[in-house]
Amino acid sequence: MNLPKLSKDEIKKLALSAIGFVVLLYVYFTFFLGPLQKSRDTTLAQIGGLQKKIDGSKGEMAKAANLERQAKDATIRFAALKALTPDGAPIAWFPPRMKTFFANQQIDKAVARLESNTNFKQPELSSWSKYNWLIELPQADFAALGKSIADLENAEPLLEITKLNIHVMPNDSQFQQIGIAATTVIEKR
Amino acid sequence: MALQLNLLHEEILEQRQRQRDPLKIGMLVLASCGAILFLYYAWNAYRTIEIKSRLNHITADWKKIEPEVTKAQKHSAELTNVINTTRVLDDYIDNRFFWGPLLERLSRCVPPNAQLTSLEGQVLDEEKGGGISVTIDGVAAAREPRSAAEDLRQMLLEQLGKTYHDVKVEFKTLEDVETVANLGGANVPMSRFILAITFNPSAKPKPGATPAPTRVKRKGNDESS
Repeated sequence: MNLPKLSKDEIKKLALSAIGFVVLLYVYFTFFLGPLQKSRDTTLAQIGGLQKKIDGSKGEMAKAANLERQAKDATIRFAALKALTPDGAPIAWFPPRMKTFFANQQIDKAVARLESNTNFKQPELSSWSKYNWLIELPQADFAALGKSIADLENAEPLLEITKLNIHVMPNDSQFQQIGIAATTVIEKR
Repeated sequence: MALQLNLLHEEILEQRQRQRDPLKIGMLVLASCGAILFLYYAWNAYRTIEIKSRLNHITADWKKIEPEVTKAQKHSAELTNVINTTRVLDDYIDNRFFWGPLLERLSRCVPPNAQLTSLEGQVLDEEKGGGISVTIDGVAAAREPRSAAEDLRQMLLEQLGKTYHDVKVEFKTLEDVETVANLGGANVPMSRFILAITFNPSAKPKPGATPAPTRVKRKGNDESS
């Protein structure tokens, strides 16, 4: 190959051109194409993220609609259970309620006292509390007592009798003195 | 052959030198590369703008959907909470022990010649194995008062075994007392007893477990008891 002989001046100029080319490439990729690519990648990632959210939201909304259909019975039942708890402090309404209940069962002078109240450990019952009551019936006939206890257990689904003491009255063996320890589950208000 | 004279030799040489000036060629090459790179950049910039416009469109869509999604998520969480709470409360309600039927069974087991003076019952803690514990104090009157008390124990075992599981009825105390009772015009001796009853109201019987014991009819029992 017959390459033309380059003079010293020409070699300088060629070197200068080569340097200029390298600088041009550096500036182009670093300050123009690089940021542009970066911006494009970021935008694409944002689009991907949003698209994922939109796709997920469709599933979420379908799930909510499905859950609402499934939860119909539970919602009605939950509302019914909540309705068992009147407004106000339990100590204000539970003892009168028991007094009235037993009076309707022909058992007079029922007294209910609050022993303690605790919170549940289960996270599902975090908005409910457990109240322990002591209900004293100074005088009752056994048959009437049995019937009233059965009625109480049926009427108050959130009440559980944990202890039951029945003692014959010393003066009149026809009647008994009764102590009932009961636990009620009451919604916190 | 004709003789050719190059009278412009120096000028032509200069022109040739100008044409092959490396700086000029380099500048031309640089300019061409620059033009190509600019076009490539422009193409990329156009695509980026297009993508940004797509992002704006999708962001607008998401802004429209987002409140509904947030609402749906909140509603889902509430419903899940309601379902779980109702399930736990239903379990609590279903696992309660009902004292009414127990009192009814007890009253049916007590014969006319026995009297219960006290009953103490309690639901045992799960840590203690759960179940129900009942202690009954009473007196029985018959010619053989201990047999009358034993009859009551067996009756309780049989009747409670029909409904509950792991029924145990044991005497804690069974002793004769000096007092006598008048039954049908005849004075008969009495015995005092304390019965400890334990049972499990809800446990399923273990496979292969022995069936609940039935009452043994004992001969020679006092007929009046």
